[in-house]
Amino acid sequence: MKIELKKFGEMLISRPSGREAYLAMSAYILKGIDKNEIIELDFDGVKVLTPSWADEVITKIAKEFKNVKLINIENPTAQATLRTLREYSDLKI
Amino acid sequence: MNFTQNDVAEKIAYEWISTKQENVDVKSEYYCQTRDIFQAKLGKMTMELLRNNSIVENDIYIISAIAGEIGNNSFDHNLGNWPDVAGAFFGYFFENGKLKIILADRGRGILITLKKAKPELKNDAEALKTAFTEKISGRTPENRGNGLKFVRENVEDKKMHLIFISGNGKMELNEKMEIKEITENIRGCLAILSI
Repeated sequence: MKIELKKFGEMLISRPSGREAYLAMSAYILKGIDKNEIIELDFDGVKVLTPSWADEVITKIAKEFKNVKLINIENPTAQATLRTLREYSDLKI
Repeated sequence: MNFTQNDVAEKIAYEWISTKQENVDVKSEYYCQTRDIFQAKLGKMTMELLRNNSIVENDIYIISAIAGEIGNNSFDHNLGNWPDVAGAFFGYFFENGKLKIILADRGRGILITLKKAKPELKNDAEALKTAFTEKISGRTPENRGNGLKFVRENVEDKKMHLIFISGNGKMELNEKMEIKEITENIRGCLAILSI
């Protein structure tokens, strides 16, 4: 299962929009998916990502599913955000 | 506060947050009453910087993320609790290859926000240090509060310059962080990012 984050916008910044994205994912994309399935979070096309948005989405998905892969994370804000979440939000991936 | 002629932008922001409630210019082009307005202006700034082509594209995205974190904090931590005027001030000024971004709010400030999670905080300067360096959330019991650490690390990494004032605490950050007490007392928060 691959989730293209750019479908939620190129600028993923605020917590409320992250929360809304997570709710939409839970209802339409992740519903009924086995917890062991590989979930690929694809950052291709994302221009701005912040820890606030990502904490509402990536941290939650990483806690919910056991095999989460992050792909196309070359964007500097994606890299910086993931560093912050690993250090301050216990993101394990 | 003392301003030079080049500090017109700071002066506008300082007046916006320091004036009496009835004098706040809510028709100002820099005023964002709601988060949606702030988000739209942030997107506009990002597009303008990309079109302008004076700053490296990847740095523009980092700048946008930093401004996004600081601006959204104003709404995250004051929603339903604004002491008087709701919303934030957001201005950006690009001159002679230098970008200056100013964000401000007339909210409760860092000290009051963090005291719920860390009651032992004694003053604004201590609260600023905690906000920018420690894993803590002003919206406890929610597990959040990583935004200003992200801001600090990226300002340092990109060798930008950030002044962040709340109450009578002032943090100045470039390659190193310096926090001190000032004589003025800023209502809410004032952030000035220079690139």
